Amino acid sequence: MTTRPRLKIGPHLLPGLAAAALFVVVVGVTLGAEFPDPQGFPEGANITASIGYAMFDVSIDRISGQTLVGAESFLVAFIVVAILLDAALDGAVLLARREDGSVREVVADGGREIRRAVGAATGDERDGDTARNGSREPSTTDAGSTGDGSAGDGPRTDPEGGDA
Amino acid sequence: MVPAEWYVILSAAVFCIGLVGILTRKNALLFLMSVELMLNAANINFVAFSQVWGNVTGQTFGLFVQALAAAEVAVGIGIILVLYRNFKDIDVTSAATMRW
Repeated sequence: MTTRPRLKIGPHLLPGLAAAALFVVVVGVTLGAEFPDPQGFPEGANITASIGYAMFDVSIDRISGQTLVGAESFLVAFIVVAILLDAALDGAVLLARREDGSVREVVADGGREIRRAVGAATGDERDGDTARNGSREPSTTDAGSTGDGSAGDGPRTDPEGGDA
Repeated sequence: MVPAEWYVILSAAVFCIGLVGILTRKNALLFLMSVELMLNAANINFVAFSQVWGNVTGQTFGLFVQALAAAEVAVGIGIILVLYRNFKDIDVTSAATMRW
């Protein structure tokens, strides 16, 4: 009896077929449409500087000594995106915060809690550092943990030179 | 110079790969990656038509799309973190209600 992989025919193929159909339609429309010949940019044009000037609404007529490419002004869009990024950062921190309000514990932990959980799941009661180094000394995390969620408020020193 | 049609076809291919990812995968991280593919497909078009029209408006807009993608990933990773905390899994179908 052969064990080669077989294609299972069924409704689970529909999303892939729909995407492939969309691709075929787009390719058909694209090849049937007429696009103008690319104008390109002038020889030696400073594209990066041009983008910067467009982003901060600086008129390129005032700039001399460089070959620049024109664009519209994007100053308002730049400010809006800056606010959006700020809001996204706040949202990410809000979502990452635990219910007891601790964020830094996870950051300062260096992944020891996760390694301990993995060690417990696999039957190895030592945490990841001691399991790796083969010693039974308690780690700094064990000694410094108060159990009230405030253990990560200060910087920790790792006597083993760990990867915190 | 490469004609614009080829860029549009490349963009459509990348977009459709992202679409397949969104329609078939259940892993939230793969969802995010698929959305990134779709956003970058749009970016390919922006840059290609910036070259076609000979100005940098499309390239500047591409930068803004990148910023939008960064914001989306920041929030998306946060949501995935909460998903994992509550369900011990990042399968998007495991969260069937708005609260638990």
